[in-house]
Amino acid sequence: MKLGVVDEYTNLDSPFHRWDPRYKLIGLITLVFAFSFVRDLRLLLAMAAVTITIYAISRLPAAFIVKRLRYPSLFLLAIVLTLPFLSGGDVLISLGSIAVRQEGLLAALLIATRFTCILIIGMVLLGTTPLLTNIKAMRALGLPDIMADMALLAFRYLQEIGRDLRHMQTSMRLRGFKERRFSPGGLKTLAWLSGSLLVYSYERSESIYKAMILRGYGHAPQRKSEFQASEKDTLALIAIILVAAAFIVGDISLGHNTGTLLK
Amino acid sequence: MHIPDGILPLPVTGAGYAATAAITWYSIRKIKQKEDPRQDIPKASLLTAAFFVASWIHIPVPPASVHLVLNGLLGALLGYYAFPAILIGLFFQAVMLGHGGLTTLGVNAMIMGLPAIIAHHIFRLRKWGGGESRRKTGAFGFLAGVVAVGVSVAMFVVILLTNLPAELNVISERAAIFALAIAHIPVIFIEGTITALVTTFLRRVRPGILDGV
Repeated sequence: MKLGVVDEYTNLDSPFHRWDPRYKLIGLITLVFAFSFVRDLRLLLAMAAVTITIYAISRLPAAFIVKRLRYPSLFLLAIVLTLPFLSGGDVLISLGSIAVRQEGLLAALLIATRFTCILIIGMVLLGTTPLLTNIKAMRALGLPDIMADMALLAFRYLQEIGRDLRHMQTSMRLRGFKERRFSPGGLKTLAWLSGSLLVYSYERSESIYKAMILRGYGHAPQRKSEFQASEKDTLALIAIILVAAAFIVGDISLGHNTGTLLK
Repeated sequence: MHIPDGILPLPVTGAGYAATAAITWYSIRKIKQKEDPRQDIPKASLLTAAFFVASWIHIPVPPASVHLVLNGLLGALLGYYAFPAILIGLFFQAVMLGHGGLTTLGVNAMIMGLPAIIAHHIFRLRKWGGGESRRKTGAFGFLAGVVAVGVSVAMFVVILLTNLPAELNVISERAAIFALAIAHIPVIFIEGTITALVTTFLRRVRPGILDGV
């Protein structure tokens, strides 16, 4: 499997690319949580408008969305295709034994909009800063060192271990292994493939640890944070948090209910 | 088996993050109690990456194929590193592959991570009664794999169905839970079998890994 390249457009220039990664993390994560709070259908339009505006300002190309939506949209499709038929009481349209129900249809609409908007904001967050910088920003915001080190090291070796897996799978095919056919023996071979991958990684980690110790791992003086926020960064953070707060206050004052529109 | 963004309401995603933060804090506290916590970080990190990669291996289950979850095996091998490892793995999956989501990261970490911790304790029981044998390693490996994925499936189905914004009627909710549970039975047994086979393979090839990170 090819890893999705999230760092593809991080070298573009836009206000979101220039924003301090720490503030961007706080601001956009607050916004997506506010989106997940919304239940009133009238706010969905505002949510879509805010999302489109943010995406336009970020200057990320439209093709980026299409590529990233491919996988998660399958799950969404399943929900959107089943909810209107299974959930709710008021029947809108009836075709023989199949009935489209109002509540289910509205729930599907709510889920689909929230899902797409949160995903797009997440893409702006992750697509405008390199992943490694984001992990460093999380460390600056209080992510424990053990977690940050593990994330950085795991990320560093993902591609290499992925390559090991591809090589082993090619070798297996060359020796006549049919990976698409189910058999108890085949299951054993696949288990040994996973086991070998773990053994390789384990052995490699021992030499990595020695190399890290030689370079003074754990003894280096604490580096000062590489991030520095300007006034503009702070203002942008306040603006985004106000938008997030507006969604929460708006939803509460409108009743925090999917069905309010119908009453 | 990852819940995407947009489905769960804020109280649930918030509670997921709070529970995840608490368990991560506890795991890190346990890790720091070791004599030299730095020593195990490269091991845990590379095994995290290896588990991430191993989840791309597809097992043919006619007419389709399933990918491995391996949270039972991960719990068995990584011990207290299992929960942070799963959290990191899920973050990468959300970021790179679009599986799961950012707001649901906490909930998904609980769905995968809590069963991994249970699996860790189950797998440790293989030394119960003095000494371990190939058969005991295989049996407890199987149990760890089955219980971990079984609990994950149960948590996933219950969290998903009880938090849909619309009320499902009782009959369709029961039918959905039943159908999803039935559909996952082969997956649960395959996970158990693979976990048993991998643990016995590791016992023969590199027994040190089984003693935990």
